[in-house]
Amino acid sequence: MNLVGITINHKTAPLELREALHLSSDEILELIPKLKAGLFDEGFVLSTCNRTELFGIPKIGKIIDHTTVQDFLLRYKPVAGIKPEHFNKYFSCGAVKHIFNVSSGIDSLVIGDSQILGQLKEAFLLAEDMDFAGTLLKRVYDAAIRVGKRTIKETAIGEGAVTVSYASVQVVEKIYSNLSKKEALVIGAGETGELAAIHLRDKGVGKITISNRTISKAESLAEKVHGDIIPFSELIEHLHKFDIIISATSSPDLLFTHSDIKSVMKKRKGSTTVIMDIAVPRDIDPKVKDIDSVFYHDMDSLKVIVDQNMQRRLEEIPKAKKIILNEMSNFFSWYNTLDVVPAIKSVRDFFEDIRNDELEKIRHKITDDDYEKLEDMTRRMMGRILHNPTIKLRELAESGTHSQQAITHALILKELFNVNGHTALYEEENHKETSE
Amino acid sequence: MLATIHTLNILLPILYAATFFVYLYDFTKDKSTVSNAKRIFLFVTLLVHTFYVLARTIEFDHTPITNKFEIFTLLACTISCAYFILELLTDIRGTGLFIIFFSLVFQVISSLFIKDLFEVSEVLRNRMLGLHVISAMLGYSGFTISAVYGLLYLLLYKDIKLNKFGIIFKRLPSLETLDKLCFNSMLIGFVLLTFAIIIGITWLPSAFPNFSFFDPKIISTVIVWLVFGSMIVAKYVAKWQGKKVVRFALLGFILMLISNLLSTTLSSSFHKFY
Repeated sequence: MNLVGITINHKTAPLELREALHLSSDEILELIPKLKAGLFDEGFVLSTCNRTELFGIPKIGKIIDHTTVQDFLLRYKPVAGIKPEHFNKYFSCGAVKHIFNVSSGIDSLVIGDSQILGQLKEAFLLAEDMDFAGTLLKRVYDAAIRVGKRTIKETAIGEGAVTVSYASVQVVEKIYSNLSKKEALVIGAGETGELAAIHLRDKGVGKITISNRTISKAESLAEKVHGDIIPFSELIEHLHKFDIIISATSSPDLLFTHSDIKSVMKKRKGSTTVIMDIAVPRDIDPKVKDIDSVFYHDMDSLKVIVDQNMQRRLEEIPKAKKIILNEMSNFFSWYNTLDVVPAIKSVRDFFEDIRNDELEKIRHKITDDDYEKLEDMTRRMMGRILHNPTIKLRELAESGTHSQQAITHALILKELFNVNGHTALYEEENHKETSE
Repeated sequence: MLATIHTLNILLPILYAATFFVYLYDFTKDKSTVSNAKRIFLFVTLLVHTFYVLARTIEFDHTPITNKFEIFTLLACTISCAYFILELLTDIRGTGLFIIFFSLVFQVISSLFIKDLFEVSEVLRNRMLGLHVISAMLGYSGFTISAVYGLLYLLLYKDIKLNKFGIIFKRLPSLETLDKLCFNSMLIGFVLLTFAIIIGITWLPSAFPNFSFFDPKIISTVIVWLVFGSMIVAKYVAKWQGKKVVRFALLGFILMLISNLLSTTLSSSFHKFY
């Protein structure tokens, strides 16, 4: 197979180079026609924050190596300081395997990240929309999506929180059974606070309130999670109303002391409170964990969950690899049949032509009823004669291990019956008849 | 029939052990394939056990409540039965292991020492006594399950507090769920024990000439009843929850064990039949 591909990703290049080479949707839309015109008959371009990949089947009669593809990409988007070693190169079977690795999530920065499957889907759909995805690429796409879905379903590679903000929500779920009846407060509307608030919203927390020193930021996040805001200066007066408190500010000092939380618990009449301090430095005095019914967790304790889950995901990689191998075998079984299908078709056509010729010779010598019977009989006879060679060739091709043998058999078959010669002769005769 | 009873007596501990190990396997494995099969194991065990209890009742012409080993098999059956219903209603499957363990222990002891009793005191054949004892047993099963959930609550509470995110953290339901399960089992146990006490107070004085309200078993049972009763009132009136509820459930369970120990060791109790 002629599939050629290059990739620059978190394993091959630093963030600044990956960022510099990242292609927006508009850029991909602009690049595809150029690729179609210059390099590939079919292909796709995938570009995310962690990788930019370019795969395609070279134009018929054109010899294209990885350097050509790489140079083509860098001519379109020049990046200073980029070197050939920042790219990984793939060809044929290796290219298919790499695409499957990507779709399964085992090649991602965060192992098991299912987001990549959606991004891969988008990349293929874009190629399809731009008439850049042919039969082969469509088949690769179907198999890659199947790999991704099977990996999610059959392994635990995507399970468990692998970010601190999500781990905090996982702990919250171990404490409360019905989050829709709970009220949560997120202090700090930065990146971490935002992620935590979104996770809480996704888990169906009843009411989310945001507090931030810059009120406009709090308002913007509150709008995103359909929540309320409370002024930062009034935090302590409202603290007792919340079952879940997630603090992620950049404050250099403690926001709440042990006695603050103790008085909050008095107001809550001992009702369970979960405090997630995901700020560095910490926002809440860690001694509050000694208070009864207060579940306090900071970055260090949540990192324990993240590390455990990461380890678990790594242990799932062999299962994912097994799925990839299985899908590769299925894919190449199909691919190998592509070589023998035309041979089978031309042999069948060859025999069909002989049958029609012979039938035509006796058409006016027998009755219509007899002709029909003879037509049926010869059709059945042809079917029986060609059944075994057809099945055998398909089996040889699909087994994958004897693909070359299947091609040789197909050639011998064509050679024995002089199929190519016959077809050429037949076409020549037809051409003559038309011109006459 | 006697041969069947003897066979089932051997078969039941094996069935409980098998069910226990299937639940254990499911608890320890990440992506277990026996999540539904374990429920079938428990159901079959319960069917066999129910048949065994009925067979004993018919063959020996009395409810199996005449000695502690008959009561143990009944207790094993009611604990598992109560758990099975709870599992079906809540679909919380991660806790069965800890409850079936009690059934397994009770059934093993019962199967080892139970005897065929054809001759028993006439009062032990009375249906009212049967109802009294069975409702008390179901009540005790409720308290046992409540105590198990209470213990699991404390284990999970401690693990979360100490940042231990091991198998207890992964497999058990949330603290709030354990709290609810603990309280609901306690509530059901309390209602059934109340029923047993009402039958006891209204019927037992006429059946037992030596009946006394100062019987140690009656006093200890009333204490158990009061502990659970005050807990239930506190839950509704003072909105108690979490650790307080759990501690009371465990205290009540310990008192329940002492109460049963007293009735079987103090010779002065009219509750002592064997």
